[in-house]
Amino acid sequence: LAATAPSSPATPAARAPVNRRVLLLGLVVVASLLAVLLLNLGRDPHTIRSPLVGRPAPAFALVPVGGSAPVTSDGLRGRPVVLNFWATWCAPCLEEHETLQRTASALGRDVHFLGVVYEDEADRVKAFQQRYGASYPSLLDPEGKAAIAYGVAGVPETYFIDAAGVIQAKYGYPLNAETMAENLRKIRR
Amino acid sequence: MKRMAGAVVVMAALAAGAAAQGPGEDPAQVVGPPRGPRLEGAALDARVKEVAGLLRCPVCQGLSVADSPSTMASNMRAQVKELLAAGYDHDQILAYYERSYGEFVRLKPPLRGVNWLVWLAPLAGLLLGAAVIAWALRAPRAAVADVADLPGPDALPADPSLARYVLRVRERAYGWPDGISPARAAASPTAPADPAAGNRA
Repeated sequence: LAATAPSSPATPAARAPVNRRVLLLGLVVVASLLAVLLLNLGRDPHTIRSPLVGRPAPAFALVPVGGSAPVTSDGLRGRPVVLNFWATWCAPCLEEHETLQRTASALGRDVHFLGVVYEDEADRVKAFQQRYGASYPSLLDPEGKAAIAYGVAGVPETYFIDAAGVIQAKYGYPLNAETMAENLRKIRR
Repeated sequence: MKRMAGAVVVMAALAAGAAAQGPGEDPAQVVGPPRGPRLEGAALDARVKEVAGLLRCPVCQGLSVADSPSTMASNMRAQVKELLAAGYDHDQILAYYERSYGEFVRLKPPLRGVNWLVWLAPLAGLLLGAAVIAWALRAPRAAVADVADLPGPDALPADPSLARYVLRVRERAYGWPDGISPARAAASPTAPADPAAGNRA
């Protein structure tokens, strides 16, 4: 009852250093998060960063479905190449098929369009091509070596290779007319 | 005749090499000629498991190429086997896949550049935590008074009139004669009620 409050009042001046430290730590955390956000704001989330972009496209020699002589990457030099990894079991591949078909028909003389069959069988590919059309060849990659060399992590994935054989873009989603045109601009200069 | 036989052997070796690499690119163009011994048999199988265990399966969630049942991982295991049999060493094989998939494909990121953070950040966090705990333990606690500073049961205010009032309240509330605690009464039975007594009991 007679107790009096301890005679050490916590003045604002005494607590200030701790608060400033906490404030500084908070500012550092918030500033780091903001920096990450700002750095990535302009980036298209659909663009997959591939270490191969800007580097020579891996070589391949693959036999087309229904063919016998292999198509080699060396034989394609001098013209830009659109290399599309796909499979018949892949629904998004069917979604972009018409875009690929139309563009290949329109630009067939200027640009090589090639499909690479990913984890699928020749018979199914033939049936798919008969049903949905095929204005460009699809190559078989039975051991998946081309897919591995290109860093494929799912289908569809499309690589845009310029006339000198350098990969200029990788697109990892179903292509539409707009994204196709945007990526083609990078290899048709 | 001997020269012809030699040519046949060379061609057979080239054909075997080409068959081993399969269609497509020659890994030597990417990572240079093989630097290790050519492996076979049980030694090869053990090494395949070891190297595949260091590679991330690109189509899986957190599985190594050695552990994944996917077709992609199976293809990669077969390729790792071919590369080891051809004499490519561990570093060359990891570099070959890194060329296509980036550092992502390595399950153990190499100690370079920003990767140091992966190894050092937990240690730094631990040290920081220890420093915070040490600081908190050493900091004076202004809010908690020393036990010696607490007033005893017989403490009275300095003001005599207020002290007399407190003694009366204690008498009524606790039944202490003259408001003096039994402990104090036993210690000095004749002591009069001293307003200042007991403050430092």
